[in-house]
Amino acid sequence: MASWPGQGLPLSHGRMDFLPAMLLSAMIYPDNRRFFQGAAMKAHWDIFCCVVDNYGDIGVTWRLARQLVAEQGLAVRLWVDDLKAFVRICPEAQTDAAQQWQQGVDVRQWPTQWQDTAVADVVIGAFACQLPPAYVQGMLEQPRAPLWLNLDYLSAEDWVEGCHGLPSPQPNGLRKVFFFPGFTPKTGGLLREADLLSRRDALQSDPAVRNGFLQGLGIVPEHNARLISLFAYENPGVASWLDALAGDSRANHLLVPEGRVLGDVKDWLGEQVLTVGSIARRGALTVQILPFVSQDDYDRLLWCCDFNAVRGEDSFVRAQWAARPLLWHIYVQEEYAHWEKLEAFLDLYVQGLSAPAAAALVQLWRGWNMDNDMGQAWQQLLAHWDELDCHAHRWSAVQAAQPDLATALVQFYRNWL
Amino acid sequence: MKTGKELKPGTVIRIDNDPWLVQKAEFTKSGRNSAIMKTKLKNLLTGYKTETVYSADDKLDDVILDRKEATLSFINGDTYTFMDTTDYTMYELNAEDIEAVLPFIEEGMTDVCEAVFFEERLVSVDLPTTIVRKVAYTEGSARGDTSGKVMKPAKLSNGTELSVADFIEIDDMIEIDTRDGGSYKGRAKS
Repeated sequence: MASWPGQGLPLSHGRMDFLPAMLLSAMIYPDNRRFFQGAAMKAHWDIFCCVVDNYGDIGVTWRLARQLVAEQGLAVRLWVDDLKAFVRICPEAQTDAAQQWQQGVDVRQWPTQWQDTAVADVVIGAFACQLPPAYVQGMLEQPRAPLWLNLDYLSAEDWVEGCHGLPSPQPNGLRKVFFFPGFTPKTGGLLREADLLSRRDALQSDPAVRNGFLQGLGIVPEHNARLISLFAYENPGVASWLDALAGDSRANHLLVPEGRVLGDVKDWLGEQVLTVGSIARRGALTVQILPFVSQDDYDRLLWCCDFNAVRGEDSFVRAQWAARPLLWHIYVQEEYAHWEKLEAFLDLYVQGLSAPAAAALVQLWRGWNMDNDMGQAWQQLLAHWDELDCHAHRWSAVQAAQPDLATALVQFYRNWL
Repeated sequence: MKTGKELKPGTVIRIDNDPWLVQKAEFTKSGRNSAIMKTKLKNLLTGYKTETVYSADDKLDDVILDRKEATLSFINGDTYTFMDTTDYTMYELNAEDIEAVLPFIEEGMTDVCEAVFFEERLVSVDLPTTIVRKVAYTEGSARGDTSGKVMKPAKLSNGTELSVADFIEIDDMIEIDTRDGGSYKGRAKS
């Protein structure tokens, strides 16, 4: 079994692989230089990402990997079994590289035939993915087993607090620990880069910067138009919502990044084909199809919009940081388990809203996720727009007052040491 | 071999060569069709207790246990004494050891249980899948529903609360399914 050099074990290529990441990170983030004074002592983290479907798995792990490098000065390898999915959110990446450096992260193709490789100090299996058996064997052979974390799904349900941080002793003697992201102090928190909110505020407070970004994507909204982003799974509620937007007294400009909801939008428009760059108008509604952009640009897009419809886990969290009213299309689970998760989040989120505003929001979210008519629910929501907008800011601030997920993971590791 | 999903109270798994009794197991769907099992474990050699989480598909070494038929003999505070129905040997268990079935244990019950032994030591008791208990208290029928689909709360004589069909009345005997924590199954046939 190969090993990391600098740990009293045989020298291999492993530690040298990480030096470019550290130097790059130090150049980009000068504040991190102090972390590299003893670079040889820095911990190495391996993150394993099995892309099951869509972009949530890779979206979360890529953000986490980047943040651990940039802000914590760690050496991070991200093992991805589907680099095509990775390239969608990191367009400068290559789909066929066994190894590549992206923003200081050592991105590796997770090979079908696992190659002998050094074991990291911290091993994260994202979303209950199964690690390669040979790698697990390597963990067993270490003088001290690494910290093995299962980074689980995001949920606002009560049980998360009771399971966060609990061990999972395995028959082979290794101990896995379950780490749950979440919205309360007794969970692992949410992914949030240290400068995220200041960058958001800078863009949202400067119309020139905002317009410049939008124009870069070919977006020129009509004056005073309500700007809305739509990222969702296939959803029968699209038609009734777009009907409402088209019949509005105010102009609506809907931005639809490429994705699974495009078919529903195309059907509503009655178009044969919708491609990136397509713009269609129906009544007060302008629909514009956008390319699948990088994570950073998607953040900016969310910040620019007045309302964001998002889905799954990664974009859902990013929309909360945008501090704008949002609509969540939750991932559908067997036996409608997702409904409980939806209600659990709503229970948390509506705290502090007036009863009518909360009811309007709940009605809209339920309608979107339970295939109900969206038209009336949207009208109800518009009646409480200002309150919901303020609430979105407040929610973002409350969440930002808690430690972010990457910091919590690092703190957990320090405590474990 | 058992999977995390198959863990239930009374199961004993081997971790680091030690036998650990599952005292409590809570199944939860965590996300995208994956699931976890939160468990309360007790080390049968040291008595140490801990809480753990397993993925539903984690593979765990289970310990083959001996099982014998036993009935509840008497309750003294937190101590529950069971009697082997074949040789009349008495065995004691603490309330914690039978936490999962405790809501359905009551003085005078005649259910033939399965006493679970690890190396000749009683570690747990399993109730039959279906047991019959008397309803000590419930409100009257609110809607006159006879379909059994409308439910209302009820209490057993030991204070255990569960949902029963709307037509169930005080002193009715009901069948309870003891799996998954215990749930109303129907009115017992007299």
